[in-house]
Amino acid sequence: MTEATGVDQLITETADRLFTQICDHEAVQNAEAVGAAPEIWSAFAETGFPWISIDEDLGGSGGTLLDALEVLRLVGYHAAPIPAAETGVLGGWLLANSGHEIPAGPITVLPNGTSNIEASLSGDQMTLTGTCVRVPWARIAERIAVLVEVDGQSMVASVDPTDCVIQPMSNMAGEPRDTVCFEGTKAPAAPCVAGVNPEAFRFRGALSRAALMAGAIEKMSQLTVTYTNDRIQFGRPVARFQAVQQHLVWGAQEAAIARMAAETAGREANRGSAFFEIAAAKLITNQAAARATKACHQAHGAMGMTQEYPLHHYSRRLWSWRKEYGGDAEWSKWLGNAAISQGADGLYALVTGGSSVLS
Amino acid sequence: MRFTPTELTAEELDLQQQVRDFLLEELPPGSHEPCLGMAANKDKAFSLKMAERGWVGMALPKEWGGSDRTAVDRFIVVEEMLRWGAPVGHHWVADRQTGNVILKFGTEEQRERFLPAICRGELGFSIGMSEPDSGSDLASVSTKAEQTTDGWIINGTKIWTSGAHENDWFVCLLRTSPIEDGNKHAGLSQLLIDLKSPGLEISPIPFLDGSHHFNEVTFNEVFVPDTNVVGDLGMGWHQNTTEMAYERGGPDRWLSPFSTVEQLLREAKGTELEETVSDLFGELVARWWGIRNLSLSVARLIDTGEAPSIESSLVKEMGTRYEQEVVEKLVHLIDIEYSPDSDSLFERLLAQCVVTFPGNTIRGGTIEILRSVASKGLKGLPA
Repeated sequence: MTEATGVDQLITETADRLFTQICDHEAVQNAEAVGAAPEIWSAFAETGFPWISIDEDLGGSGGTLLDALEVLRLVGYHAAPIPAAETGVLGGWLLANSGHEIPAGPITVLPNGTSNIEASLSGDQMTLTGTCVRVPWARIAERIAVLVEVDGQSMVASVDPTDCVIQPMSNMAGEPRDTVCFEGTKAPAAPCVAGVNPEAFRFRGALSRAALMAGAIEKMSQLTVTYTNDRIQFGRPVARFQAVQQHLVWGAQEAAIARMAAETAGREANRGSAFFEIAAAKLITNQAAARATKACHQAHGAMGMTQEYPLHHYSRRLWSWRKEYGGDAEWSKWLGNAAISQGADGLYALVTGGSSVLS
Repeated sequence: MRFTPTELTAEELDLQQQVRDFLLEELPPGSHEPCLGMAANKDKAFSLKMAERGWVGMALPKEWGGSDRTAVDRFIVVEEMLRWGAPVGHHWVADRQTGNVILKFGTEEQRERFLPAICRGELGFSIGMSEPDSGSDLASVSTKAEQTTDGWIINGTKIWTSGAHENDWFVCLLRTSPIEDGNKHAGLSQLLIDLKSPGLEISPIPFLDGSHHFNEVTFNEVFVPDTNVVGDLGMGWHQNTTEMAYERGGPDRWLSPFSTVEQLLREAKGTELEETVSDLFGELVARWWGIRNLSLSVARLIDTGEAPSIESSLVKEMGTRYEQEVVEKLVHLIDIEYSPDSDSLFERLLAQCVVTFPGNTIRGGTIEILRSVASKGLKGLPA
């Protein structure tokens, strides 16, 4: 354990090594063409990584939320084309906290809520009707964990995707974001334990994206440092020009603040209430994604605009993740309300104390 | 480059609370016009009160009058002072950098003479780096110190010397031997100079709004004794670079507009705020939280004995640009004709931010120079 982050160092090393081996440029490119990456998923699943943070007696791999978020950071860093967040800290979390069995394969969730869905409960059977869009990796999922509120009680239905109609759609990085139609779909449902509800799910989703984005921004920043030091123009590496240095520095700063925000929010979430930190981390990583993609693309010149060079694996994911589980507007609003509720005298205490002063 | 998340310990949180209580008692809201960050008013009485609590030169050893506290402890005190807009100007430079330089490079006699007085909050220091023909290219300084019996005779000019008209001493970077083989970095030394020395003339360089911070300091055959040379002769460039690392990346580089933002909320009483302004508060607290965590992690790194010069340059470059962004966003969203003589404190502060903040990305090393330092470091080249 590293004292500062509380993450098991072995997890970092093992996950990084695994993704370095299996997620090269070609493999990620190929996954986009096919719309899935079964070999990458199998290798990932074999390590037990997808189920970190879910208790072993509930069918998970054990470990903490921090460990799971570290894996997600590396998924982002390597642009691994797999439903890692959906299977673990989101879908696995929902199923495990409502007494459902954790399947052997990928899980997905409905990231944008279920306001479009009619759910009726009969005993422990739920019937679902309606359409949900932008469902990550639904086409390869073994279960869809559907979180709905019935009479004020949060319930999770564990839906078999073969009972739904799935229309393949994708995000800007070519990752599956499918449309799922429930047509009187029946599935076993069970109530969630306390603290697992649509609001908590929204924040957890945002935290998962912050971790992924922190990884992707760091990789983009590193690619940019390497590229600009290798690329010679006017007889010297372009990194020696002040005009280019500004992009290098901006990229590195956004990588730093994104990772700091995601890791700090993870640390707080691992302890308890972390609404402020997660909201701030998602807003920071959203804005960092915008600033860093701009800086890193500019520093790469035309090469960064090609499919041949890997920058786009990260930049296109970032443009997608920025809008998932809350864009800039949603989180600014949430944070603005939190700030104003503190009043002038409590404003700085919020900056230093975060969620601890809100509760 | 690595910024490791850290958090305050129970003892550190206790210090934070002590500082908050002190400020509430000494400077209750409404009792003073908040200062905008480190360009703070000089109030020697206030500095003495802080010193009584051991908060000036607090990271210096007890042996020399300090409190043996950590860089993080100092971060906490500085952070609370700045966000409160406290008048920390008198002891600011001595506390942030000069004390460290004298401790690290000075003689026993210099430590004895200056450090306890710094820690008591008595001595105010200026910084003697820039010259009319040497700004970002600092190694080109040409103010000369020529050796004589028992000391040095100095001729030349320093400019942008903040507070020289009110302070007691300054540490000057001077050329003590001529440039050989084009090596500008050799032959420079740091000397401690009494601002009341005969032959030393201080004249104001009025700030753009007419206020007096900057000075031109002219040396006309000024004598400085040998005992005032800091560190080794000819090592001034190295010492100066070390000194600059102390002044980068701290709360003074990202907190300057906080009082202004806080005052907006105080005057608006919450409910009257438009939605766009409310959203802006959300954006600001998030970014402040993020930058603060980076800056705090730099302080923690310093306490482990590291010299995080790349990290602190990155934070300073980012923090000072952020300070300007905050002001621009306020100006953009809030449709008032702010002025320095408005009845509203918020409007007065905003006007002052607009006029003075262009300097934030210039002072203590322009952001262009910081980018050069940081980008070499990112590649692993010596900065």
